[in-house]
Amino acid sequence: MTNLIDSFVSQGVPLETIALLLMFPVIATLIAFLRQVVGIKAFGIYTPSIITFAFLGTGIKYGMAIFVSVILVGMITRIIIQKLRILYLPRVAINLTVVSLSILFILVIGGYFQRTGLASVSIFPLLIMITIVEKFVATQIEKGNKTAFLLAIETLIIAIIGYYLLNWDFFINSVISYPWIILLTLPINILLGKWTGLRLTEYVRFREVLKKI
Amino acid sequence: MFEIFKKGEKILGMNARNLTFIRPCNLKQAKRLADNKILSKKLLKKSGLPVPELIAQISSQEELENFNWNSLPDSFALKPNGGFGGEGIVVVYGRKKTSPNGFKDSEKNQNNIWIKADGSLITAEDLKSHIQNILEGSFSLSNTPDVAFFEERLQLLKLFKPYAFKGIPDIRVIVYNKVPVMAMLRLPTKDSEGKANLQQGAIGVGIDLASGITTTAVLGKRKIIEYIPKTRMLLSGIKIPYWNQILTLSVRAQEVSGLGFLGADVAIDKEKGPVFLELNARPGLSIQIANLSGLKDRLQRVFGISIKSIERGVRVGMNLFGGEIEGEMEEISGRKLIGTIAKVKISGKNGKEIEVEAKIDTGAYSSSIDIDLANELGFSETLEKFSAIDLSSYSVTPENEQQIKKELVAKYKDTIADLEDVSVIFSANGSSVRPVISLPFILDKISTTANVNIADRKKMRYRMIIGKKNLGKFLIDVNKKY
Repeated sequence: MTNLIDSFVSQGVPLETIALLLMFPVIATLIAFLRQVVGIKAFGIYTPSIITFAFLGTGIKYGMAIFVSVILVGMITRIIIQKLRILYLPRVAINLTVVSLSILFILVIGGYFQRTGLASVSIFPLLIMITIVEKFVATQIEKGNKTAFLLAIETLIIAIIGYYLLNWDFFINSVISYPWIILLTLPINILLGKWTGLRLTEYVRFREVLKKI
Repeated sequence: MFEIFKKGEKILGMNARNLTFIRPCNLKQAKRLADNKILSKKLLKKSGLPVPELIAQISSQEELENFNWNSLPDSFALKPNGGFGGEGIVVVYGRKKTSPNGFKDSEKNQNNIWIKADGSLITAEDLKSHIQNILEGSFSLSNTPDVAFFEERLQLLKLFKPYAFKGIPDIRVIVYNKVPVMAMLRLPTKDSEGKANLQQGAIGVGIDLASGITTTAVLGKRKIIEYIPKTRMLLSGIKIPYWNQILTLSVRAQEVSGLGFLGADVAIDKEKGPVFLELNARPGLSIQIANLSGLKDRLQRVFGISIKSIERGVRVGMNLFGGEIEGEMEEISGRKLIGTIAKVKISGKNGKEIEVEAKIDTGAYSSSIDIDLANELGFSETLEKFSAIDLSSYSVTPENEQQIKKELVAKYKDTIADLEDVSVIFSANGSSVRPVISLPFILDKISTTANVNIADRKKMRYRMIIGKKNLGKFLIDVNKKY
């Protein structure tokens, strides 16, 4: 641990908070890289990063289960209330209601079967995951079910990658020992921001064209 | 492995589209114009470009309540002003006739019922709730409040009828630096519900810029197809009418709109001809799959050249990005492209070779040569003997055709040299019985041996016609000169 981090801790800032704040730029850069170079879109940068940190709170197993439930319930609710033709915010509110109740139901069922690990999950990561239903519904409306589902899966993939990165001891230790390496994300992002090459997924998308030219 | 990255340099990806082309070429103001359909319609119209007429617009709840539904014509298209991807559009084709003894205008909406493309009915009440959704921004980018407008419905061109499902096909032209660089025809399908957006499952057909003839096609965003699904409608080889005009319109729209990198959408109306539909500040990339060609490469070739006039820009585009179609078409279909007149090298008897101009006649079934030509080729003996046959005992009518042929062939095939068959021709100026010989000839480097009949073609311009039977290996382009 460096003197810098030491002095932060002695000022009363918890070490875990410092570590998470330092790792946030790395997760953001990872998402930018996955978008610009690989071509994984997900729901922007906010949703995948917040889900990544939510996974830290819930653990990967429960995190994924809850994420998938939220998306599935969101999808089913939409199909049911689509016919009502109601305004956007009330519609999202109904979605949130159904999702919240479903999660509550899942927790109760979990408790009944002695799966207390689920019930002991802290509430904030759960709430965070419930709110992604809005992002999901908005995407469904704008781009259709299929795209929304695809983006949800991409978000899940990013969150899983991020989760394992944040649990990689070597990585955590490096960040704590050499906090300045976080600054490297700046030039990396500038490079990413100027990257005009094809994304990896575009090589797949344009494979027929590539064969022809 | 490295080769594929090198090839990738020719393709325009999202990153390059946004950073290298949209960002510097399409300024905020121009983008805002493109996203506002009513405004761009007005601007384009003012500059003399043909656009679908605006019928009415509704920008507030109050205007919606006071709207006079009787003022609407029998057919129209209802659109969200800031809509994208073809969402939220309603098209009606006619007004439903109300029964004469029905209610008399008790409500001003009562007798306003229209018929949609699929035959279903839509009432003024339905339209009202749809417009409400539009006003609330259900179809606009990021759900901002929007304006709804009615515009004139375009009429489908006969040529496109068999290709398009319900909606109107349109032509997307990418214009950069006043040069049209790539184009595709977008055909609505059942999956796209009559919309011409590839994202929604429409078909995109690449177009050769020089000739306006379609080449290769993509269904949706990535599936390469040759025919319209479940039909035998070939997608290549469609000649787009008004091609030059369409390109000119697109380049003019670029000039007027100030969008340096423009996706221009042009439709063709049955009566009005080409009509400018929409400006696109962020054109999609699938056009590259429809054309099986890279856009980045083309854009780079156009970058920086100075184009003084619209005509010049169109010409540069046609010259740079067209003309490969012939090779492509031949490659795709496996057949050679020929014009309506072709040079044919005929091998006669005793090794004699004569080159003639032949008419490619898809209206005739078999091929035919002139008597004099047959003589020159060394078939005079056959001709003489054949003309000596006494045909007076036959009545040459269509009912007797088979019988005449059979009898003559049986009787003379062995006695008259080179006689392969007999053909009986019925035409406007009398019927005739002609000898048929087997003749080897070379047409556009393909050699065939065909049964051709010998006829008196002295009054005709060409000494040989080639009929359908011998054209199976060719595609015919009426514009082509040999």
